[in-house]
Amino acid sequence: MEAGGWICLLAPLTGALAITLAGGRISRRTAGWVSTLTTFVAFGGALTAFVAAWGRDAHDRQELSTAYTWLAAGDFEVGFQILVDPLSTVMMLVVSGVGGLIVWYSMGYMAGDDEERRYFAYMSLFVFSMLMLVEAGNFLLLLVGWGLVGLASYLLIGFWHKRPEAVAAAKKAFVMNAIGDATFALAAVLLIWETGTLEYLGVFEQVDGLSSTTVNLVALGLLGGAVAKSAQIPLHTWLPDAMEGPTPVSALIHAATMVTAGVYLLVRAHPIFEAAVDVQHLAAILGVITLLAAGLIALVQWDIKRVIAYSTMSQIGYMFMAAGVGAYGYAIFHLMTHAFFKALLFLAAGVVIHHLADEQDIRRMGGLKDALPRTHLAFLVGTLALVGIPPFAGFWSKDAAISSTLALGGALGWTLYVGALAGVLLTGAYSFRLYYAVFHGTPAEARPEAHGHGHGEGPTSMLAPVGILAMLSVVGGLVSIPGVWHPFTHWVGESAEAVVEPTTAQDYLTSALAVALGLVGLFLARRAFQADRQLVTSPAAWQVLEHKLYFDELYDALFYRPAVALSNALRRNVEEPIVERSLEEIGSGTIEVGGGVGRLQSGLLRSYALAIAFAVAVLVVVFVAVR
Amino acid sequence: MGPGVGWYLIVAAILFGTGALGVMLRRSPLIVLLSLEIMLNAGSLTLIAFSRQQGNLDGQVFALAAMAVAAAEVAIGLGLIVAMARKDMPLDVDQASTLRG
Amino acid sequence: MGEFLVWVVWFLAAGGCLTSGVAVVSLTNPFYSALALIANLASLAVLYLLLAAEFLAAAQVLVYAGAVMVMFLFVVAYLGGKADAPWAGGPPLLRTAAVVAAAALLVEVVVVLGLAWGDDLSEPAEVTDGFGGPAAIGELFLTDHLLAFEITSIVLLVAAIGGVVLGTSREREAE
Repeated sequence: MEAGGWICLLAPLTGALAITLAGGRISRRTAGWVSTLTTFVAFGGALTAFVAAWGRDAHDRQELSTAYTWLAAGDFEVGFQILVDPLSTVMMLVVSGVGGLIVWYSMGYMAGDDEERRYFAYMSLFVFSMLMLVEAGNFLLLLVGWGLVGLASYLLIGFWHKRPEAVAAAKKAFVMNAIGDATFALAAVLLIWETGTLEYLGVFEQVDGLSSTTVNLVALGLLGGAVAKSAQIPLHTWLPDAMEGPTPVSALIHAATMVTAGVYLLVRAHPIFEAAVDVQHLAAILGVITLLAAGLIALVQWDIKRVIAYSTMSQIGYMFMAAGVGAYGYAIFHLMTHAFFKALLFLAAGVVIHHLADEQDIRRMGGLKDALPRTHLAFLVGTLALVGIPPFAGFWSKDAAISSTLALGGALGWTLYVGALAGVLLTGAYSFRLYYAVFHGTPAEARPEAHGHGHGEGPTSMLAPVGILAMLSVVGGLVSIPGVWHPFTHWVGESAEAVVEPTTAQDYLTSALAVALGLVGLFLARRAFQADRQLVTSPAAWQVLEHKLYFDELYDALFYRPAVALSNALRRNVEEPIVERSLEEIGSGTIEVGGGVGRLQSGLLRSYALAIAFAVAVLVVVFVAVR
Repeated sequence: MGPGVGWYLIVAAILFGTGALGVMLRRSPLIVLLSLEIMLNAGSLTLIAFSRQQGNLDGQVFALAAMAVAAAEVAIGLGLIVAMARKDMPLDVDQASTLRG
Repeated sequence: MGEFLVWVVWFLAAGGCLTSGVAVVSLTNPFYSALALIANLASLAVLYLLLAAEFLAAAQVLVYAGAVMVMFLFVVAYLGGKADAPWAGGPPLLRTAAVVAAAALLVEVVVVLGLAWGDDLSEPAEVTDGFGGPAAIGELFLTDHLLAFEITSIVLLVAAIGGVVLGTSREREAE
């Protein structure tokens, strides 16, 4: 079991190193193959680990494997250790599986780019980092993986580094993630202080003994990290900008895997959050706020990728909501199905973009149904899964997540429930708005047709992963049917036992409402499309939503301007006069002192004698005083 | 029996001060050398006075050694003065100040 | 009576010492200064006798007054007019500073002596007759202070060589 885990972790690292060290000696295509194959090897490793874990008895499925002691200071010790247990095997499968498909897709999408090798090296680095994050056996290694995925994200968003927007977006992503990293690190320090260990098992055992302030602070720190990484409000502004990166990057990092790391953290550290229930509920509240805000903003976006990005933000809100009320199994379930259909949507969008020679504005699309039939079908499947229409994957997972809030009950539960259902309506509306705009209607204007690809919609390397993901989006939800069987949640529940469990009646009720609302959203979008107008008609609302609820402007005024003013002031008043001037003045000062001392050396014998006499006089006084 | 050791010490101190003034205030190297001799003698007197006070002959031995060293020093000093005169340099300590910073 | 005589001798010797010391420093003619120094050395020899340092007194007269000062007088005679030494004192600051320094030293010594007058300087130790005689000093030189003895002789050797060197370079220049 642990062998599988190690193979899974190290294969992509090997790939990344191989591509980096080989440099220009291998062809670009070879680099792509190396990256794809190592990721699939990782998937093989994950599968081995999963099967081995499955073969064991229930509750005996945890295996902690340490490579070596990395850090030791007094009593405190941290090892380079991986934890293979039900939760981590699920994550490993998702990351390496979906990751493998996306890297394969990239071979077609990025073909012809000059810096393909760099791209594949970064992709393998990312897969390795994400796997380290999910396989870590202690908080330190988790933090290392956390930071590395942030790095990989920065490198990949800014991949086309000659574009200033891409570079700016990469920096923005990195800085906002750094805020989360900082709170996470502080939480880790607090844990070391109070519990003396960073291993999961060690910390969880001691959670009951900690004071409530400590637990709340730690939970807040972890939540801060999760919010930044998963682009929830208030640390969400980086995600739409991150769409500057290539489409496969958006699919892998900003839909399927990295942004779900926050959810993983909430589930993995659930004992801490259960001890700090208020913080856990705060996570749920932030999730619902985000899903509503993102859904609204998605209604006014014109860029195809940005619509899907806001959709991601919204769906992660659902996952946060589920994890925040204690339905860990369903949170991870929705994570998995979301990975399938969101990656599918991004990759299909990538086919469209590729076909239209890098056109991303949906106002200039339309009527692609006939030109790209298979992509159209895939996109439709993905959209239906997203909205939650049975029997597609999203239906099973999203409705289970929503009904968990009903199971929680209370004022909080009901508020979350209503918010989540409203979000379903919005989801239906914006996603079908996108679908109709891209694939239906008449083409906006004469556009340059596809370049280079003689084979219809796209190369196999691009279409095959899309097809596979489409199939997964259809059947992937069937591992958890309410009232019938729950193998998935039982599996995950061994690592993180759910706190709430909705009854079958609640499940059915929620599903009925959700499907109804989703269909309402669909019809609204269709009617608006047929009437050739937008869903949001009030100009004031349009303005607010177009400015993404003015978060960027707020942060600019609150943080950026004061910081710039402060650093300018410091430069003017401290750096230049004191630090820079001091360098010259040290030099001239030394020269002056030297000159002064030089004047003492007059060459006159008598002044020397006088100096000696004075010195003796002083020394005598000193001696007498000391005695 | 006679003046105590302290009186000798006072004499020696005054002599030392006189010699010091001479070194610092006179310009002729010859006079400076003579003043130096006075200071050395004052030191010897102090040593011998303490030797008498303690009943220990070490002070006198030291004074004798000092005397020998003073003799050597005068020899060299006079040699230097004669060398200066030979070169037609003015016999003035203030003029011999090329070793300056 | 004996005590009184000792005091008289002491006063005479001390007075001679101090006057000749002042004279050395203040006379303009170097020849007279050298003569004043001889007088100083003689007075000091008397003081040494009073302090039971007979050998040293004899050595003082023989070596210092006899040899060193004669050498001095030789050089003064050789230099003749060049050895004139008027009083031009130098910058006023230097003069006042020098006086201040010397005065400070003197005051300090007096203060220290005053502090120690009562206890430490009260009783001189009892000494035998041979104290300060050549036998006692010679014995010390050859046992406890052998190193000082040897090094002093090396110093004298170095001085002799130095004198020769200084003399030789003179001769070369004359050629």
